[in-house]
Amino acid sequence: MLRSDQIMATVEMVQKENLDVRTVTMGINLLDCRYGSVKKTCEIVEEKIARFAGDFVEKCDEVAVKYGIPVINKRISVTPAALVGAGFSSDDFVKLAISLDRAAAQAGVDILGGFTAQVEKGITVTDRAFIESIPKALAGTSRLCASINVGSSHKGINMDAVAMIGRTIKDLAEETADSGGFGAAKFVVFCNQPGDNPFMAGAIHGIEEAEVVLNVGVSGPGVIARSLKKTIAKRGTDNLKLDDIAEEIKQITFRVTRCGELIGRQVSKILGVEFGVVDLSLAPTPKIGDSVGEILQILGVDDVGAPGSTAIVALLNDAVKKGGIFASKAVGGLSGAFVPVMEDAVLAEAVGKGALTIEKLEALTCVCSVGLDMVPIPGDVDAATISAIIADEMAIGMINNKTTAARLIPVPGKKAGEVVNFGGLFGKSPIMEVRNVNKSGRFIAWGGRIPAPIHSFKN
Amino acid sequence: MSRKYVISVMSKDRPGIIADITTVIYDLGGDLADLNQSILGGYFTMILMAEFDGPVTRKILLTRFSEIQSETPVAALIKEVKEVMYGSHGRLPDDTFVVTAQADNRKGLVKTLGDFFYSRNINVLDLVTAIDKNCYTMIFQVDLSQVDSMKSLRSELTSLGEREEMELVLQHNDIYMATNEVGTALETIIGD
Repeated sequence: MLRSDQIMATVEMVQKENLDVRTVTMGINLLDCRYGSVKKTCEIVEEKIARFAGDFVEKCDEVAVKYGIPVINKRISVTPAALVGAGFSSDDFVKLAISLDRAAAQAGVDILGGFTAQVEKGITVTDRAFIESIPKALAGTSRLCASINVGSSHKGINMDAVAMIGRTIKDLAEETADSGGFGAAKFVVFCNQPGDNPFMAGAIHGIEEAEVVLNVGVSGPGVIARSLKKTIAKRGTDNLKLDDIAEEIKQITFRVTRCGELIGRQVSKILGVEFGVVDLSLAPTPKIGDSVGEILQILGVDDVGAPGSTAIVALLNDAVKKGGIFASKAVGGLSGAFVPVMEDAVLAEAVGKGALTIEKLEALTCVCSVGLDMVPIPGDVDAATISAIIADEMAIGMINNKTTAARLIPVPGKKAGEVVNFGGLFGKSPIMEVRNVNKSGRFIAWGGRIPAPIHSFKN
Repeated sequence: MSRKYVISVMSKDRPGIIADITTVIYDLGGDLADLNQSILGGYFTMILMAEFDGPVTRKILLTRFSEIQSETPVAALIKEVKEVMYGSHGRLPDDTFVVTAQADNRKGLVKTLGDFFYSRNINVLDLVTAIDKNCYTMIFQVDLSQVDSMKSLRSELTSLGEREEMELVLQHNDIYMATNEVGTALETIIGD
């Protein structure tokens, strides 16, 4: 029997609050693609991606039209390239990057992730060649995203890798200086990188995964923002407490997650591909009304970064997880609220006002996902300082048994306060000030490893 | 030989009306297969299917229903059928969608959509309406298994909405199941 109240509530969510599925990402195992020559390996890689993802975009669109819920991004993640190209030289990895980029274009996806190495404990000869290839690989491709895992709660932080990555990010930004260092926006450094994350730039198809899986990232923060506004207008601020707000977020997240998983499972069914996980992350876009920062403003801070911001993000992140985990039987990926500065118009505005600093952003990442994301910094910040910022962020993830990441973009030739604009989903923002530059060189020069934390005596 | 009927009854609503109607069926030895009831504007209506072992005729049924004491007489329509369907409102067709329509209240709104569906061979499975102030809401549950192109249908609905100044939304029924039925697994909803 039709329940008109329930139906109209769902219509409200889908149509008026602009519910969408943020991403459906097909993960493809490429471990069986390594052949004698680089050329042959690349051919096999492209053939395999085409075989599994040939009609991926078309089927996603079909399901989106049928259900009336847009699937915003259709993407591919692959096995970390450093494993696929075991024994490759740096130049060979550049060729593999171009091949992956071509495969993404042929499949019709805008981004392919998995140009990745996992070096949280040690760096192999291949890993070193891979890291050296990153600036040219990302400068010479348009759809490829790269990532590297330099730490974990079980292995600690590989500080040799962190030192290398600081220099790599500088080189990558210089290599793409014509586009404001855009290459660095396609490269993310992780601690505890998940193998089933559907969101870019850090999506990979982990080695623990099945041959091919579909992972889904559910809707953005706009749905929650509009739902909260409506509830506050209806009930009045005098009649609501923070626990009521948390409950509202839980309920809307439950419904959003069920919709996202429904779409993902339907696409899986049509493609005959195993369904992986639902990632509950709130992923903002630069579009007005699609911002995590806006939720913070609704909940009572005038500017993101003001005292109280961390507490609100903690509430938001937890409520989203509680609603989503109850809704789905397969939660994974990053599953937390993102605070990517350039991709969130309200966060970028707060940077412009001086309300949001890197230090406060780092504090926010202690209670949410995923880290210092899409943070533009002055182009003259030295590599050791970049490495040290990354080390700080990795330490938060390592100690707290959570995923953290850093996507820092040193914008060549620009200073703090100047605006950098990458357009589209990558957004724009004033460049953030980095204080205390050139003061961490001796720390980074140590190298070695920060040992893994103790996993008992948790009192 | 048993006789099977579809029976529709209508009367002003009051406590005990269901008991009175089902007592008629029971006293005549009838087995109630399925029923659906609704109340609108203070009037009670019920459609039911029943099977009788004895020689119960349409005339006997009409007489017994007319003897029910009520503020308004119980009006009944009775049709004999070859078989009764048990649990007919069980699983819906795979292509069940819901069209919601909202507009300023005026004459002919339901007809406009009824005509739209009929001209496209779309069967309406269920319909509820509501009015709040001057806003008239219609919710049609429809079977789109005869529709070739969802894109075209969505486009035609958009045009209709613009032309008739209606807010029209077409969503798959699974969306409502997924968001409102906590205990139903998604695999069950999509039919895995």
